Amino acid sequence: MRILRSTALALAGVLALAACSSGTTTPEASDSSSSTDGGQTAEAADITFWVAGGDTPQELRDYLVKTFEEQNPGSTLTIEQQDWGDLVTKLTTALPDKANTPDVVEIGNTQSPTFTTVGAFADITDMYDELGGDKLLQSFVDVGKADGKNYALPYYFGSRYMFYRKDIWDAAGLTVPKTLSEFSDDVKKLRTDTMSGFAMGGQDWRNGISWVFANGGELATESGGTWTSTLSDPNTIKGLQMWQDVYQNASNLPSTERDVAYWDFLNDAADGGAPEAATIMAPSWARWSIGDLTKNDAGDEVRDGMADASKFDIFALPGVDGGVAPVFAGGSNVAISAASQHQELARNLLKIIFSPEYQKMLGGAGLGPANSDYVSSLGDDKFAKTAIETAAGSKLTPAAPGWAAIEAAFVYEDLFQKIADGGDVTALAQQYDETITPMLNGQS
Amino acid sequence: MSTAAPDAATRATTPQATHGVRRPRMPYVLLVPAVAVLALGLGYPVYWQVITSLQKYGLAQQFGQPPEFVGLTNYTGILTDGYFWSVAGKSIVFCLVNAFVTVAIGVAVALLMRAVPTWVRIVLQVGLLVAWAMPLVAAVTVWKWLFDWRTGVVNWFLTQLGATGFDGHNWLAEPLSFFFVATVIIVWMSVPFVALSVFAALTQVPDEVLEAATIDGAGPSKIFRWIIVPMIRPVLSIVLLLQIIWDLRVFAQIRLLQDSGAPVKETNLLGNYIYELGIGRQDFASAAAVSILVLALTIAVSWPYVRSLLAEDKS
Repeated sequence: MRILRSTALALAGVLALAACSSGTTTPEASDSSSSTDGGQTAEAADITFWVAGGDTPQELRDYLVKTFEEQNPGSTLTIEQQDWGDLVTKLTTALPDKANTPDVVEIGNTQSPTFTTVGAFADITDMYDELGGDKLLQSFVDVGKADGKNYALPYYFGSRYMFYRKDIWDAAGLTVPKTLSEFSDDVKKLRTDTMSGFAMGGQDWRNGISWVFANGGELATESGGTWTSTLSDPNTIKGLQMWQDVYQNASNLPSTERDVAYWDFLNDAADGGAPEAATIMAPSWARWSIGDLTKNDAGDEVRDGMADASKFDIFALPGVDGGVAPVFAGGSNVAISAASQHQELARNLLKIIFSPEYQKMLGGAGLGPANSDYVSSLGDDKFAKTAIETAAGSKLTPAAPGWAAIEAAFVYEDLFQKIADGGDVTALAQQYDETITPMLNGQS
Repeated sequence: MSTAAPDAATRATTPQATHGVRRPRMPYVLLVPAVAVLALGLGYPVYWQVITSLQKYGLAQQFGQPPEFVGLTNYTGILTDGYFWSVAGKSIVFCLVNAFVTVAIGVAVALLMRAVPTWVRIVLQVGLLVAWAMPLVAAVTVWKWLFDWRTGVVNWFLTQLGATGFDGHNWLAEPLSFFFVATVIIVWMSVPFVALSVFAALTQVPDEVLEAATIDGAGPSKIFRWIIVPMIRPVLSIVLLLQIIWDLRVFAQIRLLQDSGAPVKETNLLGNYIYELGIGRQDFASAAAVSILVLALTIAVSWPYVRSLLAEDKS
């Protein structure tokens, strides 16, 4: 038995050690090769551009690399793709590190304030007019500002609108709603036990805040550099109650759902049966995941992009008194790392990104161009028109320094779930105002 | 750990010293690399952790502002926050339930392996090894699919059995059923290690002893309680201790489950809370302080075991 005991102890020691080391891997900056000499600014070098997610198509990346290398002889551009999920973490570790920082980064519009307020990005106020000035999407410009200086500028915007089953709406004798309350009434009528009239997850506040904005409410306001959460504002409460009503009476989804692939619900079921939802709200690119099944050139089975207009169609979420409701705009900003050793080259890359050619290419790829002069490049079909229309009225979340912390702590997810579960909106609003206000100001 | 090693060395050399032999330096020299690696690999991060936990260290400090020394402010802030205590309480209960359930099932499987014919045992062992070797993310993903509210097999199966209310039932919506699913996953992943370790211990129990017990008229339950358990006790204690330590620092399974939609605030365990503070809110100082508290908690929880193990080892 003695041997058994010692072996067991030794084993325990080894495993405990292994346990210590396995769980705590620090997120490493991905290996960028930009750590060259770093002497003179315009000196030829390799610079790195971090794009977030797969939104920037390969064709556009190739264009950037080719054009940059033509305009800056001897220098090269490396484009590295980062996942949206851990972008903030990677930027937190990589940006302060002179040797490993990417030179230019794409960052989610609502993530910008977190970094602009701590000096992570280079001041590019002097380039603002050259890159488009007032023509640039102002709500995005504002979240990239700190102390009146420009640090991050818009890269592209996305928009969100409603996708619906025209065949089902028609069969129920319903037409496109003109006001937000008409919309609620229609989708409530369409709901059955097996089909949501309007599919919406309970934690999905990014879609849900459209109801707040539509009612003239705000999530937070700033005065004299201090942010205050304004959930208890009567307009905000009205919006939240309206959303609670439409969630409870039109959606069959659990109250814990967020980031749902709603488009799956709109397509016919796998066996060709009825869809699980008559209406969804999604970013404009969701179109390519909706429609009947067809084969593409490579022979893969894909959706036809809503080719059958009598079956699938879209409309913009209507406002309270008609018109278009302000929705939450998705999209990205771009910025130059303050620690970059190649500021001049990084600025040259920004000039290419904001050039008419590249702006038009963004539009051609279905991404809303930052410069309003080139928005027409999105096209003139109903998808482009609705995208432009909804983007024009869209809003962003507060540009508060603590915003990323709030997102990371899933505060609004918790709030919206509680509302979806039938909680008292006024009491919840008050309770969450107290939680959120200090977090907005970075005093978590 | 770095101090325990030289102690052991001292003890080992003492008898030689009393015999008048020159005290050898070699053991110490040989220990240097191990101690250096430990000091560098474990000592430095812990040192950094302690220092950070005594500062105000956030994103601004990460980007070059000098951190301000704030003493124990971070600790008092955390300890007076009711949320920390609720997370810690949940973590301890969750860890104890998981550890004991795992060990109970593991022992049962080990006894089963002893009782069944060889080919069945080999099938069992292979099955356990495969389950153990499965990468964590893959395993959790499969379990997530099984428990999916919309397309999950579990809901379908329960409905087929005639249970009502499981069509579209969301297992992750309520903290209790969320932790139930998490427990199923963690126990499933941990049982193989316990079962194989305990089975190895069981093979060391001499057949003659069991035979003698049977002849004396002891039934299977008595044999298990009074013969087998005392003989494999050292292994059982170690395995239980390890399970408690591992289950206290569970992180990924909870995080992955939360990602598919769950009330995050109510399902956070200590690991997830640290992650949220540090990585999410970039409040590195508070995250470091909570980590230190968890370290203290781990030592406190496991200390009685370690002491009894050491005492047993001496006797």
